[in-house]
Amino acid sequence: MKSRDQEYREMFMAEALEYYDAMSRHLSELERNPQDTPALNELFRLMHNLKANARAMGFVDMGEVAHKMETLFGQIRGQERTFTGSLVPLTFGAVDMLGNMIRAVGAGQETGDAHVLLDNLERLIQGQEPEQAAPGQTTEEADADASRKLELSDLVYIPVKKLDNLLNLVGELVIDRDRILTLAAELGNAALQTTAQHLFRISDDLQYSVMDVRLVGAGVLLNKFPRVVRDVAAAENKQVELTLAGQDVQIDRNVLQLITDALLHVVRNGVSHGLEDAATRVAAGKPAVGQLRISALTERDDVLIQVQDDGRGINTEAVRQKAVRKGVVTAEAAAALDEQGVWMLLFEPGFSMAEKITDISGRGVGLDVVKLAIDSLGGQLRVNSELGKGTTFTLVLPTSIAVKGALLVELDTRAYAVPLLHTDTVLSLTNDEVFAVGGLLMTRVQEENVPLVSLRHLLYSEGNEPLPRATRADLPAGDGRQQVLVVGYNNRRLGLVVDRFLRQQNIVVKPLSKPLDTIDLFGGVTLLGSGQLCLVLDVPALTRLFLAKRP
Amino acid sequence: MPDTSAAASASRRAAPEAVVQLIVFCLGDEDYGIRIEQVKEVTVTPEVVRMPKTPPFIKGIANLRGDIIAIVDLEERFQLRPAGRPVPEFSYTLAVEAADYTLGLMVREVPRPVTLPVSLIEAAPEFVQDSGQREKYLEGIAKLPDNEGVIIVLDMAKLLTPSEIMRLPGRVEPAAAAPEAPTPPEKP
Repeated sequence: MKSRDQEYREMFMAEALEYYDAMSRHLSELERNPQDTPALNELFRLMHNLKANARAMGFVDMGEVAHKMETLFGQIRGQERTFTGSLVPLTFGAVDMLGNMIRAVGAGQETGDAHVLLDNLERLIQGQEPEQAAPGQTTEEADADASRKLELSDLVYIPVKKLDNLLNLVGELVIDRDRILTLAAELGNAALQTTAQHLFRISDDLQYSVMDVRLVGAGVLLNKFPRVVRDVAAAENKQVELTLAGQDVQIDRNVLQLITDALLHVVRNGVSHGLEDAATRVAAGKPAVGQLRISALTERDDVLIQVQDDGRGINTEAVRQKAVRKGVVTAEAAAALDEQGVWMLLFEPGFSMAEKITDISGRGVGLDVVKLAIDSLGGQLRVNSELGKGTTFTLVLPTSIAVKGALLVELDTRAYAVPLLHTDTVLSLTNDEVFAVGGLLMTRVQEENVPLVSLRHLLYSEGNEPLPRATRADLPAGDGRQQVLVVGYNNRRLGLVVDRFLRQQNIVVKPLSKPLDTIDLFGGVTLLGSGQLCLVLDVPALTRLFLAKRP
Repeated sequence: MPDTSAAASASRRAAPEAVVQLIVFCLGDEDYGIRIEQVKEVTVTPEVVRMPKTPPFIKGIANLRGDIIAIVDLEERFQLRPAGRPVPEFSYTLAVEAADYTLGLMVREVPRPVTLPVSLIEAAPEFVQDSGQREKYLEGIAKLPDNEGVIIVLDMAKLLTPSEIMRLPGRVEPAAAAPEAPTPPEKP
C-alpha cells in the first residue's frame, strides 16, 4: 500500500503536468493573438490553481513562480500592460521552468534554483525591464527546447461514470456469488464449495478495491473553504480563524460531490449568522476573532463532516417565532416542538434567519438545500447549539453511496429494503400496547408516542384522500402481534406495520431509471441473493407522505 | 430460450430504394411496428415487480441484465385490449432505447422483423383519431404488399419522453386537461 503522501504527490503531479501542457498551449495562442481573452483568463486560472496546489504540497519556489505569473497575467487582464516585448520570452521561460520543477518533483529531485527568474518576474511586475535585458536564448537552450521529450502522465483520469458502471457490475457479481455459495452448500459438493469460497474472497477484494478507487480525501473539498470563509468574512466585516481537520478521511467522490453545495451553505451560514462581529464578541467577553472549524471524521461506516463555530448560538425562541411568522409551522405545532425540533425548522424551505438581506445569506434559500442534499444520500443532519457559546452542524454521510446496510421487511410476500440509517428499532406489539388517538394508532417507544401506520396502506392507497381514521377495532383479532419497524427522520418517528422482518444485509442500491425516477417513495432498487428485485424505501418521502395523508 | 437479439439480425443490405426495418408486434388485434434501431433487444419478459404509486399500465420494474427498467403494457396504455381478454401470463419484452434510459414494452407474441421500402409508410390518415392518444405517437401506416395487412408504425421518440409514457390514457382533450400521473406525494 502506498502512503497518503505518495498518493497526494501523484495526484499533484498528474494535475500539474496537465496544467503545464495547457499553459504552454495557451501561451502560444496568446503569442499569436495578444488580444485572446479566453487564453488569458485560462492562463490566469491555471497559474492560480498551480500556485494553490504547489503551496499546499510545500513546493515554495514553484508556488512563488506561479504566483508572480498570476500577478503578471492579472495585470495584462486588467489592461495595465500588454503581452509584448521582454514579457513574452520571460513568460515562456517561466512556464518551462515550472515544467522542469514539476518533473523534478516527479523524479523526487530538488527543484532548480529559481531566484533569477523570480527577480526578473518581480521587476516586470514593478514595471521595470528584466535584468538580462530580453534573456536571449543561447543556441544550446534553443536546441534543448526543440528536442524536448514529450511525456505522458503516469496516472489515468477516469470519468466517474465508468467507475459507477464498474461498481454496478461488481454489485451484480456479488449477488451472483451469494447465489453460487447457497447452491454449493445445497449440493454439498466439496470441490464446488471450495471454489465458491475462493470466489467469495476474490469478489470481496474486488468490491473493496473498486470502492477504494472511488474514495478521495475529504480534503479535496475542505481545502476549498479557506477562500470561501475569507470572502464571506470580508463581506460581513468579521474576523474569522478557520481550522480544518480530517482532510485525510476517505469518502466516496460522488458523496462529496453531492454535498458540495450543502457544505458551502452551512459554512457561509456559520460565518454569516453564527459568528458575531468583533465588537459584539468583545462585549460578550469573547476573543475578537471568531473560530470556525470544519472537520471530517469517521464514525462506524459513516463519515461525519462537522462545521463548528464559537458564535452566538441558536436563539431557539427567536427561531420558533420566526417560523410561525413565516408560516413554516402553525403556532400550536411550534409550541409543542422541543429544542431540537425547533432547530430543524432552520432547514425548512422558505426559512431564513437573517433580517437583513446580504450578498451572502438572507435570500430565503440556503439551509433547506442542505437537508435535500443529505436526504438524497440517505444521510442525516444533526444540530447542536448553546446560546452564547456556539453551534455545531454535523452532516452524517455514508462512506459510499453504492453499498449500504438495510433491513429487509416483507409485505404481501415482497421484500422491501429500509436503509439502516433511518431505522430506529423494531417492535412486536400486542394489542395492549397500542392505543388510538385522533384517528391514529399509537404506541409508546422510550417515553414517546409514536404513530403507527400500515405500510400497505401508505404504499397502495390511491388518490390524495387522507388515510381512513384508525381505531382499536382495526387491530388484529386474538393474540396476533403487529410487527412494527420504527423509522426516524428529522427527529420524527413513525412506526411502519409490516408483515414480517426478514433480515439485515448490505445492499447495492441502484437508482431508478426514467420514467420511474419521479416516484420519490423509493430511493432505488436492489437485487437480492435470490435474484429478486427489491424496492428500497425512502424514509424521508414516506414520512412526508404520512404527514400529508394522516387523518 | 428464444432470446433473439434484434440488433444481430439487422444486416444492412444496399438497396436501390431506401428501406426501413421494423420490429413488428401485436397489440389488441392490430400489428404495430417500431424501427429496428430503436429496439435494443427482444427477450422473454423477466420477473416483473409491481411498483406502488404508478399507473396501471406500468406493469412494474424488471432486471434486464443488470439494468432495472420499467415494463409498460402498451395494450393497456392505448386501451387496445379487447374486453375480457386477460393479461397474458407468458409474454415477450422489447427493450427500446430512449435518449437516456431503456424501457420495456410488453407484447403477447414473438415480435418479428419486417423489411419494407420507406415509401410504403404513409402519414396516418386523419380518421384514425378514435383510440385514445395513440395517434399522437404515430409515424405513419405501412400497407404491406399483396394485401397482407397494415402495420401501424410508432414513433418511439415521441412516446418515450418520461412525461408521455407516464400519462394516463383515454383523454383526447387538450393535454392540459389530462392528469399528470402519478400524483406525487404532497409535501407538507
